[in-house]
Amino acid sequence: MGQKQMKTQAVNRMTAVNFSEMRISSNPTETLVAFSIGSGIGVTVFDPVCGVGGVLNFMLPDSTKANGVNPEKFPLMFADKGVPFFVKALFEKGNRPDRMKVVIAGGAHIMDQAGIFNIGEKNYEALKNGLANYDLKIHHEDIGGTNSRTLSLEIGSGSSSIKIFGQGEVKV
Amino acid sequence: MTDLKDIVEQIDLLEPVPPIAAQILALADDPNSSMSEIADLIRNDPALTANLLRTCNSVYFGLSRQVESVKDAISFVGLDHIVRLVLLNSLSTNFKKDPEGYGLGEGELWRHAVSSAHVAGLLADRFGVSQKKHIIYTAALLKDIGKLILGRFVAFSYEKINILVGSHGHSFNDAEKRIIGMSHEELGALVAKKWHFSQKLIYIIRHHHLADELARQDLGTSLVYLADIICMMMGVCTGADGLSYRFYSEVLNRMNLSEKDLQGIIAQACKNQQQVEILLNH
Repeated sequence: MGQKQMKTQAVNRMTAVNFSEMRISSNPTETLVAFSIGSGIGVTVFDPVCGVGGVLNFMLPDSTKANGVNPEKFPLMFADKGVPFFVKALFEKGNRPDRMKVVIAGGAHIMDQAGIFNIGEKNYEALKNGLANYDLKIHHEDIGGTNSRTLSLEIGSGSSSIKIFGQGEVKV
Repeated sequence: MTDLKDIVEQIDLLEPVPPIAAQILALADDPNSSMSEIADLIRNDPALTANLLRTCNSVYFGLSRQVESVKDAISFVGLDHIVRLVLLNSLSTNFKKDPEGYGLGEGELWRHAVSSAHVAGLLADRFGVSQKKHIIYTAALLKDIGKLILGRFVAFSYEKINILVGSHGHSFNDAEKRIIGMSHEELGALVAKKWHFSQKLIYIIRHHHLADELARQDLGTSLVYLADIICMMMGVCTGADGLSYRFYSEVLNRMNLSEKDLQGIIAQACKNQQQVEILLNH
């Protein structure tokens, strides 16, 4: 019995980027989506010259506080490990800092979750530091508050979208 | 405001829960019960037994040998796991529906429930809760059952609720109460009562967002609360209500949880989520 090769179809493909994951793509029919981001932050990056973009969905700021979880095994869970990992992978695929469009969304908090327990805020600080190390500027951000957000990147157009339930969609 | 009778009447439309859920819960949390009593209870239900053995032989456990009986299953994967699997199996039916109004897709309320229960189990182990740990697990699993019914009322009044939450700083459950007349916590407690669950389980469901000060001093309720907010922060199927619930740092302080501990627990929960997904997709 011969195995049939699956035909590749030119339809739009949606790929989920779960938390503690990243995806990089140059497929113009693909959209990368990080669904319902809470205190973690979703980062989309796209370089229009090489047509390669990616999405990182990290959860925590600091891998040295990951009790019992080996950060070498789960680098993308943490901003301090995940951002360099993600950015270097994009560089390898031809991205260049001055052309990279960065959009970030998430970093939400539970109501009144202030001070040391506000992990969303710490994630934001850690992400800004991580991006600054590579001279990357944030093109658009939607950070904080108590909403969960869905962030996506359309590789074909390079545009990012941020959705909040009941508030519609912002495309950048 | 809605006539509350209309809401409460909808409880009867839920699928009844098989009696084994409450029975196994009573046995599992009773220090005087024996393992063979629990095995007998499971064995009396052939469909449940078949399902349980299928899960035990799946990649979720990755056992090197075939599990062929309930007794085998208990000795290979442990009694706690078996009790949890029975609870998952017998409580999932209603959650397959799509709870309109909360912005969740099909199966997402269940995914959030199972993930919360998993984190609650993790926390119960960490805090050395031995006697009531299955009640805590079940409470985390069922805490949002009220949303299944309240969803359509939330959908109808969503704009008003959203104004109270977004512009006036009310928590989502508080806004439900003010606009609809009943919160998903209250409704969930009524469901648990109707299903003849224990007082403790009903209490935790009723107070899992900890608006009541006394509830904040109860360890079981606090653990379920913490599991819930951790899943919200992780973004496990959060919907229209997002993270719009109150945070009580006093609860974490009372439990001696530092910032590092909280981050450590979240990291652990994130790591375990892959396992939870396997279980959900099994």
